Amino acid sequence: MNAQQLGDSVKQQFGDKVVELSALGPNQLCLTITPDSLVSVAEYLNKDLGCRFVINSGTDRRRQRGKFLITHFFAHDEEKIYITLHTEVGEDQPEVDSITPSVPAANWSERETRDMVGVVPVGHPDPRRLVVADDWPEDVFPLRWDVPHDLKPPPAEGVAMPLLDPPEGASVVPIGPYFPVLEEPEYFRVFVEGEEVVGADYRGFYNHRGIEKLGSSALTYNQVPFIAERICGICGFVHSCSYCQAVERAAGIEVPPRGEYIRTIMLELERIHSHLLWLGIAGHIIGFDTILMQVWRMREPLMWLCERISGNRKTYGMNLVGGVRRDIEPEIHDDVRRVLTDIERQWQELYNAIPGDTTLMARLQGTGILPTEVARARGAVGPTARGSGLPIDVRVDHPYAAYDRLDVKKRVYDGCDNLARTLVRLDETLDSINIIRQALREMPEGEIMAQIDEEIPAGQQAVGSVEAPRGEVFHWVLTGPENRPERWRVRAPTYANLQSVPPMLQGDALADVPIDIGSIDPCFACTDRMEVVDVSSGQVRVYTQDELLNKKY
Amino acid sequence: MITSKLREAILCLRPGRVTLKYPFEPHDPEGDFRGYPELDADKCIGCGGCATVCPARAIMIQDIDQNTRRIVRFLERCIYCGRCADVCPEDAITMTKRFELSTDQGREDMVAECEVFMATCQRCGQCYKPPSALDKIMEPGFRDDKLKRGGDDSPYEPI
Repeated sequence: MNAQQLGDSVKQQFGDKVVELSALGPNQLCLTITPDSLVSVAEYLNKDLGCRFVINSGTDRRRQRGKFLITHFFAHDEEKIYITLHTEVGEDQPEVDSITPSVPAANWSERETRDMVGVVPVGHPDPRRLVVADDWPEDVFPLRWDVPHDLKPPPAEGVAMPLLDPPEGASVVPIGPYFPVLEEPEYFRVFVEGEEVVGADYRGFYNHRGIEKLGSSALTYNQVPFIAERICGICGFVHSCSYCQAVERAAGIEVPPRGEYIRTIMLELERIHSHLLWLGIAGHIIGFDTILMQVWRMREPLMWLCERISGNRKTYGMNLVGGVRRDIEPEIHDDVRRVLTDIERQWQELYNAIPGDTTLMARLQGTGILPTEVARARGAVGPTARGSGLPIDVRVDHPYAAYDRLDVKKRVYDGCDNLARTLVRLDETLDSINIIRQALREMPEGEIMAQIDEEIPAGQQAVGSVEAPRGEVFHWVLTGPENRPERWRVRAPTYANLQSVPPMLQGDALADVPIDIGSIDPCFACTDRMEVVDVSSGQVRVYTQDELLNKKY
Repeated sequence: MITSKLREAILCLRPGRVTLKYPFEPHDPEGDFRGYPELDADKCIGCGGCATVCPARAIMIQDIDQNTRRIVRFLERCIYCGRCADVCPEDAITMTKRFELSTDQGREDMVAECEVFMATCQRCGQCYKPPSALDKIMEPGFRDDKLKRGGDDSPYEPI
C-alpha cells in the first residue's frame, strides 16, 4: 500500500468529510478533514489501520486564512507512510475536538498546542496547562504570529511550585531538581511505602527555550540547523538532519548521494558515542563506576575523531539545507576504521564480561518492566520500544539518508526490562560500527551539497524523521515567506518515552527508580514538562498552579 | 562471577594511564578545528554576508555614515559554526585553533569591532555571492541592525 492508496481508503470510509487529499510521493499522505470528523478519522487510523500517533501541532494561520491549523501526525510503520491530518478551526471559536479519549498518546501534545497556540481541545480528560511557566499570563499564546519572540511578561511573585502531599501512609523521597539522572534539571518526588514505590510527582519544564518560535520568526532556513542541533546536547546531529530533510522534501531539493552517506556516517558515529555515554551513565546510576570510567575512556578517541572530521567534538555543524558542509576525505578513512576497530574489540570484552557479573544482572534483570502493550499504547520509540518487543526503527521503516542502501538490522528483545533495553543498545553499537564500515566502502564520489538557485516557495510542507539513539526524532516544516519556515514542529524521542516511565516504576524498589528512569536514556532538555503521576493507576494528571496552591487535588 | 570480574580488571588495566596533563601541557585540537574566528580588517570589504548567515546573530553591521561601515562582533554569542568564514568573498575570516577564550575582563573583552571605509559603496549587496538562494542578503542598502549588545539585560547601551 502506498500513500495514495491509504488516502483512498480513508476517502472511501469518510466521503466528503475529507476536504483535501494529496500524496507527497509514496510515503507521505496529507489529509485535510472537517473538524467534526476529526475524532472518527483519528480513531480509524489508530485503531483500524494500526497507525502510531506521533505528535500534534498547531499553526496560527490567521493572516493567510483567518484560521488556526491543527495537525495530527500518524505513522504507519509497516507500510512506511507518514500521515499528516489537518483540520482548520475558526478564529472566533478556537476549539477542536480532543482525540485523547480514543488515542491516549495524544494527551501531552494536545495540551501543549493549547498552551502555545490557544486552541482548546474540547473533551480532553485533563484540559490544563502543561508547557508554559507557572507565572506565564493566561491569555498570551507564544506561538501566535503577533506575539514577538522576545516577549518577556513580568514575573509574578509567589508562584513557586507547591509540593504535593504523598498518599496516606507514604513517605516522600525527592530526586532532583538538579541532576536526577542525567545532568539536567528535572524534579521527581517519589512516594514510597517502605521500599516500594507507590506514586510519583514530577516537575519539569525548567528549560523551555522557545526554539520553535525562533525558527519561525527570527532565523532563516540555513540558520535553523544550528539551533536545531542545540536542542540536544548529546545527539544534536539527528535534529539538524531531521530538520534539513523536512525542508528538502518540502522544497523538492535532492541531496547528492555522497552527502547522504556522510550524514549516515555522522549519525552512526553519534549513535555509538551516545550509546557508550549511556552505558557509562547507567553504570554510574547503579553505583558501578568502573563501567563509567572505562566506557567513557573508550568513547574519547571517537570524540576526537569527530573533532577531526567536523571541527568540533560534539556539535558537528555539518548540516545545511541541501547537504553537508564538510567532506570525509579519503585520508581520514583509515583513522575512522582504526578507531572503530579499537572500540569494537574493547566492546566485545565488555560484552563478554557483563552476563557473568551478578551485581549488574541483579540490578538490570526484571526491573523496570514495560509490557509490550503498554509501550505500544504510550507510543514508545527507539530502544525503549525495541526492548519491549516492538519492532520499530525509523532507519528501516522510513528510510532516509543512505539507509536504504545499507544493511540495518532491527534489534528487538522481548524481556521488557532494563536488561532488554541495555542489550538493544549493546547490539546496536556493534551494528553501527558495521554500518559505518559499509558506508565508507560504498560511498560514491561527487558533490556533497545540492545547488539551490531558487528560493523555497511558501506553503509547502513535509515531514523529516531520524532514528536517534533514543528513538524517533520527528520534525515537520511548513514553508513560509521571508526565507524561513512558517511553522517548524519538533518532537524529541523522550517526549514519547517519558510517558512510559510511570508503569515502569510501579512496584519497583526505591533503589531501582534511577535506573528505571535512566533506562529510557532520557533527554529532559528536549522534553521538559510538568505532570503528576499516579503510579498505582498509571494515570497521568497535570495540575494548574491555582489547584496546587489551593490543594484541590 | 570471578571470571567476569577478572575480565573487567583486564579491561581496566590494559590501557594504562590515559589522562592528559592538560592544561599544564598544551593539547592542540586536530584537523580543521573551528575555534576563534579571526577577522582580517584589511581584507574586509563590508559586504555584510557574514552577518546575514550568522545563526547566532553575533555580527552586527552598522552604517555610521556614507563613508564608514562598522562591523561589530559579539563573540560571547558566537557558536563557532564557521559559516561567516565559509561565505566571506574575500576570505577575510579564518577559523583559528584558539579555544581558550575565557576572560576576566568582562563582556567588553568579547566584543570585536572593525570599521571599513565605504565612501564609493552604493550598498547594492552585489559583492556578496551567496552560496545558495537560502543565504541571500536579507537587508541590502544602508544597515543599522537592531541587535543590542547581549540582549535586554545587558549593561551596554544599544549602539
